[in-house]
Parts: sequence; structure tokens; C-alpha cells
Amino acid sequence: MTTIAHATIAMERTYSASPARVFAAWSDVEARKRWSTPTDNIRIEYEAADFREGGKDVSRCIEPGNADYVATVTYIDIRQDRRLVFAEDVVHGEKRVSAALISMELTPKDAHTHLTLTMQIASFDEAGMESGYQFGWSAALDNLAKEFSQ
Amino acid sequence: MSQRNTTHATFVIERELAHPPAKVFAAYADPNKKAKWFGGPPEWNSEHTMDFRVGGKETSTGGPPGGVVHKMSGEYWDIIENERIVMSYELHLGATRISVSLGTTEIKPNGAGSKLIYTEQGAYLDGYDDAGQREEGTRELLGQLETYLNS
Repeated sequence: MTTIAHATIAMERTYSASPARVFAAWSDVEARKRWSTPTDNIRIEYEAADFREGGKDVSRCIEPGNADYVATVTYIDIRQDRRLVFAEDVVHGEKRVSAALISMELTPKDAHTHLTLTMQIASFDEAGMESGYQFGWSAALDNLAKEFSQ
Repeated sequence: MSQRNTTHATFVIERELAHPPAKVFAAYADPNKKAKWFGGPPEWNSEHTMDFRVGGKETSTGGPPGGVVHKMSGEYWDIIENERIVMSYELHLGATRISVSLGTTEIKPNGAGSKLIYTEQGAYLDGYDDAGQREEGTRELLGQLETYLNS
């Protein structure tokens, strides 16, 4: 019998950059490759990148000694410099381990930008993807600050 | 307009059905069967399309005569026969996208029948809808499913 565990994780950060600059770090796949990698020994390769409503990304997260995690994203709602909503699944080896709905919102705050990331996750068969999302996105959002450090 | 304009919520609806998992699953998987219960009231003249496979799309378009068009557009993310269906869907009222949701349907054997557990994790956009209304609408839909199964 299969099981699904549902979870919601919210994260917030404030960046020293305009909403337009923060948004561009999400819409530009080259920027995303830099900041979305959680640790130095993990590499992310994009097999498809199509940033528009209805467009799909396919990215492969490669870690030595572990099967690849392949994420397929469908962009659903894109509001330039304001909001991004996308659905994605993650396949680990041969097994689909989760599906998630992810919302990213940007709010200007003085000369800074406040980012809220909400991840609504359905994790399949005790795959433990809630902790995977927690770890991966927390590190990625910290890395994102480095995009604006100069 | 610097206010955050998206609210997130989860609701769960459980139903005990007097039909085995295979019959319940077929009511979702077979386009002819799903069209019998899924959609708005008859006077909405809903049009339904679906491609029931992972990566396939589903749409349901209709609305009250002379009123605003309601359009549901979904994508299937995971399917396990007789057990699980995972889809994301967005809802438009006219040209306005009012929500994006991740819906999981779990079907479990329950004596001679089944237990259906539907969980919806939703992002409701710009105040056009909320989880309470969506849960109420979804309860009506699952009522229509039960009526169809019992018919």
C-alpha cells in the first residue's frame, strides 16, 4: 500500500537588491545554476529550461555516490518581479519520490526585497522529501544572497 | 500593491465508499466515466478533456449561462493504478487566474469498499478565492462522484 505525507514549509529572506534583480536571479537559468546548488559537491545540470507560463524545466542534481535527483518543473503563474508559482516532481533513480507546489513572492522593503518561499509538498512512500526540501532550499536561499553581494 | 497577495492552505476530505478501489479509480481514469461526475451543474454546459497519464493534461471549461467562464486546467504528476492520483491544477475565472493547487487522491481498500482521501494544498491568489470555498466546492464534487458510483 502506498502512502503520501503532506507538508508545508515556509522560508523568508531579505536581500539587498531590488525585486527586479531578485526576480532575474530566478528567471535566468545561468544564475539559478549558481545559487540553487546546496553544497559544493553537488552539481546541477539543466536538460530543459523554458521560463514562461506552461513552460517546463528539467534539471538533474548530481551528487557523487548517490543516484541523480531529476526535477521536472511546470511554471504556472509568473508575475514579473512579484510572484512565481510552479509545480514540480522529483524522481530519484527510477522512483518518483515527491510532487510539490512552490510559490515565491517578492515584496519591496525600503531598498531591500523580502522573499517568501512556500513549499507545499506531497512526499511519496516515506521518501522523506520534506527534509530534502528543507535542507536544499534553505542552503539555496542563503546562496542567493551572494548574487547581490557586489 | 506591496502587500503579499497569496494565501496558502491545506484541506483534507475523507469518504468511505461502498465500492472497491478499482471501481473508484476507474471513475477518475476513464474520461467517459469522469465526465459523468466531474464539472459544474448541468446548465454550465462544461466541456471536459483529459489525457490520463503522467504529464497528461485535463481541462474543464464552463459556467452559468451568460456568466463568467470557469476554467480548470490540470496536469497529472503521479498515477498508481487503483491507489493514487496526483495532479496540479489552476483555476481561471474569465481571464483571471485565481488559484493553483496540488491535489492528491488516495484510494485504500476498506472492507468490501474503499476509503478515499483527497488532500488539496492550495495557493489562493490575490483574494479571489479561499480554502473554505474550495473545500466546500470539492465536497460537492465528491458528492457527485458518490452519486455516480451509486447509480
